[in-house]
Amino acid sequence: MLVDLIQNTLDGLTIGAAYALLALGFTLIFGVLRRINLSYGPAIMLGCYAATWFHVQFQAGLLALAAITLAATVLAGAYVERLCFAPHRDRSAIAAMVASFAIWMQLEELATLVLPNHLYAFPALYEGGPLGFGPFTLRADALVMLAVTAVACIALQRLLYRSRFGLAVRAVIDQPVAARLVGINLPWVFVRVFALASAIGAMAGYLIVASAEQVTPMLGMWSTLKGMLAMMLGGLGSLPGAIVGGLALGLIEAHSQWFFGPQVRDLTAYFLLFLLLALRPSGLWTTTRSVS
Amino acid sequence: MSALLEVKDVVTAYGKIEALKGVSLEVQQGSITCLLGPNGAGKTTLLMTTAGVLKPKAGSIRFGGNEIAGAAPRAIVARGIALVPENRLVFPNMTVVENLNAGGYPRNDKAEIAADVDRMMTRFPVLKERAMQDAGTLSGGEQQMLSVARALMSRPKLLLMDEPSLGLAPLIVEEIFRIIRELHKDGATIFLVEQNAHMALTVANHFYLIEQGKVTFSGDPGSLAEDEVIRRAYLGSARA
Repeated sequence: MLVDLIQNTLDGLTIGAAYALLALGFTLIFGVLRRINLSYGPAIMLGCYAATWFHVQFQAGLLALAAITLAATVLAGAYVERLCFAPHRDRSAIAAMVASFAIWMQLEELATLVLPNHLYAFPALYEGGPLGFGPFTLRADALVMLAVTAVACIALQRLLYRSRFGLAVRAVIDQPVAARLVGINLPWVFVRVFALASAIGAMAGYLIVASAEQVTPMLGMWSTLKGMLAMMLGGLGSLPGAIVGGLALGLIEAHSQWFFGPQVRDLTAYFLLFLLLALRPSGLWTTTRSVS
Repeated sequence: MSALLEVKDVVTAYGKIEALKGVSLEVQQGSITCLLGPNGAGKTTLLMTTAGVLKPKAGSIRFGGNEIAGAAPRAIVARGIALVPENRLVFPNMTVVENLNAGGYPRNDKAEIAADVDRMMTRFPVLKERAMQDAGTLSGGEQQMLSVARALMSRPKLLLMDEPSLGLAPLIVEEIFRIIRELHKDGATIFLVEQNAHMALTVANHFYLIEQGKVTFSGDPGSLAEDEVIRRAYLGSARA
């Protein structure tokens, strides 16, 4: 029983690490723009599809596939920013959200036009079996997932708290009018934050498809959904909250699956989420102050 | 004295509603110039237009002889105009030092920025005590000092101040006006928007009255009886 609980916790943290990365990207975009980008996941999906195409055509290696995923996702993210968010900057938040939904459909069709099958195989990071640690097992790609997430979080923290770009990003998140007044170029920050968020999302996407060893067009919706849920669970717009929310979502899913079975895993997990948000509407991690 | 800032026939609109209906005024080099008027007269709109946050529909704004109307805020800060905005607008989740560093954002002389941060700490000792605290935890008066210090970090030639006494206790208001006098003594040119006409007239070299988007009076303190200024600054002459 205890062994199972710990094993589930490990599995939950692993998938939670991927959710945390997805939520970090989502939160960065929400933080600076105060806009929900529904095309966040589909851009990641397109990145993974680009890599899949190279895999199918040229049997490209693992590192090359990771680089292609990253580059294509960043390009798709920049495309979404230019098309959906730049034109609606001072206007309706709804218009930007609806536009990002339209682009979602466009990105999905583009992916299925080039690779029409429902499912494509994606090369695994590691071919061997799971590694044993006493009574526990952990897959090698799970270790990679945890390590990449930890490194990404530390790097992001450094970037945001120790660089001029980070100062600008945090100023825009905190108080956009004052950010303009002190001379920060907001459009410049927006484009770079979109690229950064896409790169973080691409890392998550690549690790997820590599550990699932397959990719489907559903990855887009899945990434947007998990990223958004983890962000809301942690506390809207808070970066530490995104990490806490992602890990919590992973843990809730893993434990619900073990206690109530895989058929009702999502039903249980999302009911618990609903309950949690009803009790703590501002999320698990709430230190953000606002001064009006 | 020569005019550092010349505003001419400026019209700024929110959609179809014109908040400024052709405003003209001047701020002389080295002066404290005040703009007084009732709520909704267009005071904040004029400052936001001067700082580049709002784009004027018509008119000209010249700073040191150069046209700046419609330029981006970052270009205007770089030229030497800094705004202390209404309600202070500090960065609440950033420390006091980070707020000051953000104020120096347009500059790239790292050592000089650090020296200026130290200077601000000396000028505003309360900021030194709170250096590593998040700005959101500061009191209203402390946030106002921080907002002024942040604006000074860009080394402006002209400081625009929007209602610095708003919502502050009388003692803190005294303190803010003491700082305004001090900055002026050190050579700063200040364009001050205030609801508190009495306090404003104690520091002003020159003042303007704005009512319903138009300048309706211009003069030196004493050129109009103070109770008349105050009455019009709060109520507007239309309702008198």
